[in-house]
Amino acid sequence: MKRKLLFLLLMSEMLGVSAVAQTTIPQLYTDSILFGQKGSADVITRDRMNKGLVGTPLEALSGQAAGVNIASSGADRMAMLSSVRVRGTTSLTGGNDPLVIIDGVYSDLSALNSIFPADIESFAILKNAAETAPYGSRGASGVIQVTTKKGAGNHFHISYDTNLGLESVYKTLPMLTAAQYRSEVARLGLTIPDGGFNTDFQRAITRTGFIQNHHLAFSGGSENSNYRASLARMDHNSIIRLHGSNNFAAKVDLMQRAFDGLLQIDMGLFGTSMQKDNIFDVQKLFYSTAAQNPTLDYAPKASGGWDRNSQASQIVPPGALLNEQDKDKLLNFNTHLRLTARLSKDVSLSAFGSYSYNSSSNGQYLPTWLWAQGQAYRSELKSEDWLGNLEARWSHTFGRHALSALFFAELQKLEQRDFYTTVKGFTSNEFGFDNLAAGSLRPYGGTGSSYENTNTTSFMAQAEYGYRDLFTLTGNIRADGSSIFGSGNKWGFFPSVSATWDVLNTLPQMRTAWFNTFKLRSGYGLSGNTGGIRSYNSLLLLNPVGVISWKGTPATTFGILSNANPDLKWETRSSFNVGADMGFWKNRVVLTAEYYYSRTRDMLYMYDVPVPPFVYPQMLANLGSMSNSGFEFGLGVTPLQRKDMELNINVNVSFQKNKLLSLSGNYQGRYLSASTVTPIGGLNGAGFHGGDNNIVYQIIGQPLGVFYLPHCKGLVKRADGSYAYDIADLNKDGKIDLSDSGDRYIAGQATPKMTLGSNISFRYKNFDVALQMNGAFGHKIYNGTALTYMNMTSFPYYNVMAKAPAANITDQIASDYWLESGNYLNFDYLTVGWNIPVQQWSRYISSLRISMSVNNLATITSYSGLTPMINSYAVNSTIGIDDKRTYPIYRTYSFGLSIQF
Amino acid sequence: MKKSLFTIALCLLLTGCLSEDPKGQLTEKDAYATAAGVELHLVNNLYNYIGGNQDSQGLMGTPRGVYDFNSLTTDEQMLPIRGGDWYDGGFWQRLHTHQWTDSEEPLQNTWNYLYKVVMLCNRSLYKIDRNRNVLTSAQYESYTAEVRAIRAMYYFYIMDLFGRVPLVTSYSETPETTGQTERSATYAFILNELNAALPNLSMERSNYVGANYGRVTKPVVWFLLAKLYLNAEIYADDDWTDAHRPSGSGLFFQVDGHKLNAWQAAIAYCEKLTAAGYGLEADPAKNFSVQNETSAENIFVIPMDKLLYANQFLYLFRSRHYAHGSALGMDAENGTSATLSTVRAFGYGTENLDTRWAMDFFADTVSVDGKVVMLDNGKPLVYNPLEVRDNLTGSPYEQTAGARMKKYEVDRQAYSDGRLQNNDIVLYRYADVLLMQAEALVRNGDDGSAPFDAVRARAGMPLRSCTLTNLLTERLLELMWEGWRRNDLVRFGEFDTNAYLTVFPIPQNVLDLNGKLTQNKGYK
Repeated sequence: MKRKLLFLLLMSEMLGVSAVAQTTIPQLYTDSILFGQKGSADVITRDRMNKGLVGTPLEALSGQAAGVNIASSGADRMAMLSSVRVRGTTSLTGGNDPLVIIDGVYSDLSALNSIFPADIESFAILKNAAETAPYGSRGASGVIQVTTKKGAGNHFHISYDTNLGLESVYKTLPMLTAAQYRSEVARLGLTIPDGGFNTDFQRAITRTGFIQNHHLAFSGGSENSNYRASLARMDHNSIIRLHGSNNFAAKVDLMQRAFDGLLQIDMGLFGTSMQKDNIFDVQKLFYSTAAQNPTLDYAPKASGGWDRNSQASQIVPPGALLNEQDKDKLLNFNTHLRLTARLSKDVSLSAFGSYSYNSSSNGQYLPTWLWAQGQAYRSELKSEDWLGNLEARWSHTFGRHALSALFFAELQKLEQRDFYTTVKGFTSNEFGFDNLAAGSLRPYGGTGSSYENTNTTSFMAQAEYGYRDLFTLTGNIRADGSSIFGSGNKWGFFPSVSATWDVLNTLPQMRTAWFNTFKLRSGYGLSGNTGGIRSYNSLLLLNPVGVISWKGTPATTFGILSNANPDLKWETRSSFNVGADMGFWKNRVVLTAEYYYSRTRDMLYMYDVPVPPFVYPQMLANLGSMSNSGFEFGLGVTPLQRKDMELNINVNVSFQKNKLLSLSGNYQGRYLSASTVTPIGGLNGAGFHGGDNNIVYQIIGQPLGVFYLPHCKGLVKRADGSYAYDIADLNKDGKIDLSDSGDRYIAGQATPKMTLGSNISFRYKNFDVALQMNGAFGHKIYNGTALTYMNMTSFPYYNVMAKAPAANITDQIASDYWLESGNYLNFDYLTVGWNIPVQQWSRYISSLRISMSVNNLATITSYSGLTPMINSYAVNSTIGIDDKRTYPIYRTYSFGLSIQF
Repeated sequence: MKKSLFTIALCLLLTGCLSEDPKGQLTEKDAYATAAGVELHLVNNLYNYIGGNQDSQGLMGTPRGVYDFNSLTTDEQMLPIRGGDWYDGGFWQRLHTHQWTDSEEPLQNTWNYLYKVVMLCNRSLYKIDRNRNVLTSAQYESYTAEVRAIRAMYYFYIMDLFGRVPLVTSYSETPETTGQTERSATYAFILNELNAALPNLSMERSNYVGANYGRVTKPVVWFLLAKLYLNAEIYADDDWTDAHRPSGSGLFFQVDGHKLNAWQAAIAYCEKLTAAGYGLEADPAKNFSVQNETSAENIFVIPMDKLLYANQFLYLFRSRHYAHGSALGMDAENGTSATLSTVRAFGYGTENLDTRWAMDFFADTVSVDGKVVMLDNGKPLVYNPLEVRDNLTGSPYEQTAGARMKKYEVDRQAYSDGRLQNNDIVLYRYADVLLMQAEALVRNGDDGSAPFDAVRARAGMPLRSCTLTNLLTERLLELMWEGWRRNDLVRFGEFDTNAYLTVFPIPQNVLDLNGKLTQNKGYK
């Protein structure tokens, strides 16, 4: 009985009160994860998921969990996929995407995004080492555990959910209009080809976006078996003409008990088919729409093709660009089966197996209007993932002492094959990529295929001791073996410990009338990361280098393409966390606080090596370290709680601090290091090719992604009346050196020091209103867009901003002049809902809800560009740099209907 | 229960599930198992690196590499700033005004490129040695000779650009850094290696399609030796910052058992090329035509075939105006132009226009397919050779100033905007041999008229007296766009009045990574 109580307690903590289904059909795998994460995993149940227009699970999650950063959907919905970070970036080479587990099956963000939000029961975010320990290396960058809805009880249910939304552009860059452009050209005494049109290209490529979601689910069952099946369809025509995405998903879950409850069988099938029409080159499109000569026509000429502004080599007719095709088709099939045997009151065994098949095909066509001779490209990547694990659990209660143990073994095999081909020489643009035979040329290097497999084996043992639900102590040891490392370094051992203490229930004298909950928790552990590296890195292998003439005929030669490192091993991260949960005034005010510190060691990175004696200038090796630390606070206040009225305010705040500690160490007795200052992102466009246009750097001793820029003292007037940036001689050597090692200083960081998510919801009788706000603070944004479009030297071939002629800057040196504060508070959505009383039809309808929402309501910021919501989390070449690639800003107005029978 | 788990665990381990099975890649054991494999993957593989398709890769054809450092730093050609275009952080300006720094990324990439090939050669020699059992001794000798000759060729470029450089001649899986060698010692090493390799190299022409196409054969090495001996005064000089340099007449070398001074040695190798049947094409354009594989004049080329090889040629694309490119059905970058002094040397705008002007440059109005190329504004495109300036921003000729690169016949079937053309890229050719011979003769106190006149006469130009001054001018006129200008100016002492600038700095990053290296004199 006590065991069951503990179990229920755990479950309710894990899934929150709304997890109706879970209490009747426990899932052993997920509940085994409860060890060591008691009370600390952040669980987002349906109540807390975002309302409004939520097309994907990530949108449902955005802003709801402290420490989880998801780029807001202000721009490209698909860009969210690569931007999810749990407690920041911990690895330099990769592997920073959190692990996604859907009903026990290892998955990834892309698969998660293909699930329909209405199928999701809850998310659990595991951030601490002790929580992620059960997932070993895969969970090194945090775990997002997704529990989907299952059938429940003895009743059947049919539910239908739909959302219909319109997307409308409300903000574009203030460039010169055609009339202003003409008068500026005349004023400056220049000549331009005047096409005679008045085109706003930024608007011309947009339309009213439309998004619709439909979701239908059936469920039912009896005492010993149940099922749930759902079908979902999402269709999205984005605000950019000719582009969008759609998704179809089907899902079935079955549960059957047998032999008087001795054996439980769970089986699930899940399949999705997603199509995406991507913009082939986002930056080129938005650069071209902003900078194109506005007197030219958007539409193609009657004679075919577009009017070209051929002096402006870095931009092309936007209408032609929209006709570049880049289409993805993603198919995903997944099935899993779990057998659970409760051998006795104390012992249970389970076996789990899953198989996933993913096919991702891409087709591109670049028409002859833009690419001489046109170009078509097709690729297919197919991956198969087999996973099997065995788990044995034992638990027993001796009076006030509860003991449990778990043993676990797992084998995973991943196999990937890909194929691609490129064809040029098209005489017609009719076929797109659907008839490669229409192209006459197949260049060397355009066709290829590859094979890759990785195997991972893991063993884990876990033990937990609990005393009267007041204390728990959990210990965990895990061994992971991966095929991708060098022969002596395949295995990594990752232990962890954690403890919890319910203070107020242990020391009731501390309890007061207003202080009713106080729990403490802490943990320490190691985890391993493969750093996103690929197979075969540690082997000396030869790859095709190229074709040469050999004995008079062309032949492909094989050679080495990188320095091999036979000693590659696991990148390890140790992390410590301590936190508290407090409740006041009968938990009307709930406060959670957590501090964490983690340190990544043996960091995988491409280290600089001297050439000669090395062949290539970089080598992948395990050196270096990085730290991450932070505070996370959650505050939930219910100031008003009556039968007819309730007001809830939830705020989560995270402070994150990242520091790159070192990028050096010894490799085979040789001291290796990487540059102290390494550029990671710069500007593109006319006059920005190479040479001193780097903006964001990785600097040892600094957070990843800092702005390292020349300092601009202001504008100086030239003899001809134009202005230039006055660059400071920071090192006082008498000359201005703009190079990476020249007159530069650290001007700020690209990642926010603090992020905020806040939700205010108010209910009056059957009506409810919810407002979600997200914010980020303490970081900066480089406004490369303004630097480019304020530069009059590119006028009139490139259009400029409306205020550029007056400012008359004829300079495009990248300095801190255009570095701005990135602080913002964004009103993500406002939703008004009505739960229509359905008592009179209760025989047929059990609930009916309609809602109206506005997404991306408004942003409060001092940032002068289009939006401060650019990539500020994922460390890559775009972090912190607003460089002519931001989508026009749009709002979404949507209507939602949810009905249950 | 524990026992059964351990059994499972053991089974999992025993399946060897953590070993890797790379199906798409080749192991060294398989690759070098036969003589053909050794030749293909260890010798011929190196020819992939002569040309290139990325910045700083390849000896010619790509931007920001060996060619740009040898050309855009001279009075031959330049990349002016054109409004918003070609500022690029001031890189091109620094090349033109000799204000480059040791942190130029392209310089570091060029260093890494050249040494990559050297280290791949060292690796090939090491692997050939270890797989000697699959080779006959003749095969071993010829493969080794070819790799050594390629390595020596790359050391020639490295020494020419950087002066004092590390001389690494071995390969190891756990390599050690080494310090620098004086320029004269590297020079001696290169000469020794080329001479040692010569007997085992093929006699065949390298520029003809066939078994030796694109390979380093005897004539290629002869050309290199002639070049190396002609520059002996430079390469044998270890301190190029003082006003003093050794005299070529006093530097002696062994050539075919004879002791010759530098000039005589250069002449000897020039004569070998003449004896081997190399000669001037009556029409110089043939050397640069789309189908230039039959040129009697070309000695060493980068084989180009848009369907087979990845090598690219960007210089035409980089030079011509956008509208000009459009007329050809290609994109363009509207960049490189001849400098004013080049334009004047060709006699542009005078009555004495050199006959090679029309072959080398697009100037004034340009026609494609018989139609004048028009700008967007409906006016004809006019290149203005005399309007070129360092910074053209604001000039009415901002986009059109400068005579543009021609020389290579435009391959209308080329793709990637002409970057993938079929014209082989000419690295070494016989006209240069004649000019080298003439120069060596003059420097040796003899009359160089015969070879000099041959070049002038082929161009259809009136003969000039064979003086050093006229020779330097002639080298500009004949070898325009061919990547030799810096080498020539340094030899003639006219590259820069600051002698330390005649070699580039060792890139700062290279110094940082190898503490045994020191910066070249004069830099910092």
